[in-house]
Amino acid sequence: MHATTASRLLRVFLVPALVITLAWGVAIGPSGAQVYPERSITGIIQWGAGGATDRVSRRVAPLAERGLGQRIVLSNMTGATGAVAMQYVFDQRADGYTLLLAAENPALYGVLDISPRTFDEFEPINLFARSIPVVVVRRDAKWRYLTELIQEAKSHPGQIKAGSTGPGGLPFVVGAMMTAVSGVRFNSIPFDGEGPGMTALLGGHVDFMAVGLAAAAEHIRAERLRVIAVVDLAPVDIVPATPALGQMMPEYRAYLPWGPFYGAWVKKGTPAPAVRRLVDAFRPAVASEDFTEFIGLMGSTPLNLSGEEAVRFVKQWQSVTAWLLHDAKATQKSPEQFGIPRPARR
Amino acid sequence: MGVVAGIVVGAVPGLSVTMATALLVSMTYAWDTKPALAMMLGVYAGGVYGGSRSAILINIPGAPAAIATGFDGYPLAQRGEAGVAIGVATVQSFIGGVLGLVALVVAGPLISEFALKFAPRDYFLLVAMGLSLVSRLGARSMPRALIAAAGGVLVGLVGMDPVTGEGRFTFGLPLLIGGVHYIAVLIGLFGLSEVFYQLGRIGRGAVPQVTIPEVGRILPSWSFVLRFLPLSLRTSVLGIIVGALPGTGGEIAALLAYDHAKRTVRKPTRPFGQGAIEGVVAPETANNAAIGGALIPMLTLGIPGDAVTAVLIGALFIHGLRPGPLLMVEMPDLFWFIAWSYALANVFLLIFGLMAVRPFVKLVNVNKKILMPMITLISVVGTYAIQSNIYDVFWMIGFGILGYFMKLGDYPVGPMVLGVILGPLADINFRRAIISVHGNIPAFLWEIVSNPISLILAIMLITAFIPRLPSAASLRGRLRRLPRLGRKEGA
Repeated sequence: MHATTASRLLRVFLVPALVITLAWGVAIGPSGAQVYPERSITGIIQWGAGGATDRVSRRVAPLAERGLGQRIVLSNMTGATGAVAMQYVFDQRADGYTLLLAAENPALYGVLDISPRTFDEFEPINLFARSIPVVVVRRDAKWRYLTELIQEAKSHPGQIKAGSTGPGGLPFVVGAMMTAVSGVRFNSIPFDGEGPGMTALLGGHVDFMAVGLAAAAEHIRAERLRVIAVVDLAPVDIVPATPALGQMMPEYRAYLPWGPFYGAWVKKGTPAPAVRRLVDAFRPAVASEDFTEFIGLMGSTPLNLSGEEAVRFVKQWQSVTAWLLHDAKATQKSPEQFGIPRPARR
Repeated sequence: MGVVAGIVVGAVPGLSVTMATALLVSMTYAWDTKPALAMMLGVYAGGVYGGSRSAILINIPGAPAAIATGFDGYPLAQRGEAGVAIGVATVQSFIGGVLGLVALVVAGPLISEFALKFAPRDYFLLVAMGLSLVSRLGARSMPRALIAAAGGVLVGLVGMDPVTGEGRFTFGLPLLIGGVHYIAVLIGLFGLSEVFYQLGRIGRGAVPQVTIPEVGRILPSWSFVLRFLPLSLRTSVLGIIVGALPGTGGEIAALLAYDHAKRTVRKPTRPFGQGAIEGVVAPETANNAAIGGALIPMLTLGIPGDAVTAVLIGALFIHGLRPGPLLMVEMPDLFWFIAWSYALANVFLLIFGLMAVRPFVKLVNVNKKILMPMITLISVVGTYAIQSNIYDVFWMIGFGILGYFMKLGDYPVGPMVLGVILGPLADINFRRAIISVHGNIPAFLWEIVSNPISLILAIMLITAFIPRLPSAASLRGRLRRLPRLGRKEGA
């Protein structure tokens, strides 16, 4: 009697307990002490909360977590155009537990004399997406296409007011492109960002502005702003009727496609298996419908580049931008000092 | 929930509302859109209000929007009337919040179109008005106040020049390119310097005793509220407009409201700067009214009205919404949901705010030997939390030491903080205005005179510098005296 009760008890409690323990052991067995990642990963976002880099990073990280089986704990670390965050990640151990979630800015740290850090000291995990610059005007503006605006700028040099975000920003670089190719100059007025610049455009305090499609998308949809050029090689879905700059004026093709990008990096020297694990986790996350739809809403185009491809993309971007800025006299040091070649003519 | 969290965050210096909201964005990522939004709105309302607590009790504004509250709130606390001050702040925050909400619901699109009309020159005039407050803040010595303010402007200008991208006053140090964070200056000058100052006085007595007031005295009576109602209405309108302007937020609304009160209230309960109730009413009403104001361009145009709404717009994006001019048209239910949750947040703010007065007031009675190390700790942690940057902490300590010597030399710290916050704003907007007229000063002046908004702002700015216009009463008195003199001569 007693024995049977005891054995039944044993069966009821002990056996499941044993099974659970075993199953657990099996489950964590292969990912034991040596296998990356064995604890949560820190993701340092180079820009502030609510900005584009922040939004993209917070969207992709939970998707990549699925492939890693570990949490990615994100925090924003701002300052010095993102150099504070980059330095921080650089100072950590190259063990794959600290990710740098950055935008394109570090590619210009050298020529703008912001920080000694460069992308060469980091290994790209994934370049998520690139935003598409567009030139926008108010709904009631007289210019239908950028070509007309450039014509007027030629006859009234420096008169048309352009919204800007200061030297090195997207509007500045697009302006530098127009100066380099079409030889036109504008009266550019700096604002704290694309948002404030567009607010001034809406209020009639500037005449046009080059911005990321992301920032302008909703104003375009509401027909408060009109796109007079897509600064790319081909038109985009949001404004299919507006021709791309590369089509309107082929002489711009040498500089296109161009646009700020977002991605994740680790410090160089991170063990190859860890890098591979991260690359494999981010690739499907960036390719997922959830993320690509979000990227589309942001007016960006998905890249999903890693390894050599990512490095080449960054190099090309750096070469175009650094030399445009240098020719516009907006750099502190020559791109030559950093071995950045002039963009090849296409 | 959100309101309570917000009040706590707001009350702790350095933990800013913007940061709390940003944290919530990731915390509530997996939630449904609506509860997440409700939570963030709660934190927003609570946080802006909560900043007044520490400003009143320990003279350290918990948030920049509470700087002006401390001017009269802290003297009130020193007189043992902290309960009254907090009670008034709570009720006025509620009134401001509700009026802001009414403006949002009734006139949202109108106000946002109006806000778009503000050109850089108008921002410059507005900020200049805020800076002119210095002349009325330096109670004892005008030159000292001006020196402090000029120092503040100088500190505010350190860093990358927003027009040319070159370093200003950086001495070639990459460390200084990012400038000095104004929150670090704020905490150092108000918080840590107060610790040093109190340390210097320990053992010399003169610690003000605070009596814990009865609940009846915390809740301002109806007649009290009614008495300040005209002022509340005026400062609410001011708060809503300044909040709705995309370039300015609650801190400037509160400062301008304080200035407005100081200029228009002829007979304050006590002289301003020594514990005038009006000095708490005006900024507290305005900074909470500014929330409703800031929500207006966010909901009608997808343009943030201040730093917190910028984060909220990011949150909407993350939840798959498309904040922009069409949001209200395509999703009217979301607009009403935001309006209702913000209304609820205000009700809870009133309830919790009044309930939690006693424990907070007791804080002032805590032995200085315990309170001061606590403030030091909060100052350091709060500063580090701004952007996880240790140099901010060094700056904070540096400004704490500077503030100590300023207090010893009887230099007011308030104008310096004003300079740090407003100086760069005045600089960039003036330069924008000047660049857009190609540096042509007559053209700049013509634009000011020919544009109605600029003209009104310019007139307001100029009158701010006329010490006191002869009031109607004294004019009448003078007129009456004239004929009498005449008769005398005739006789």
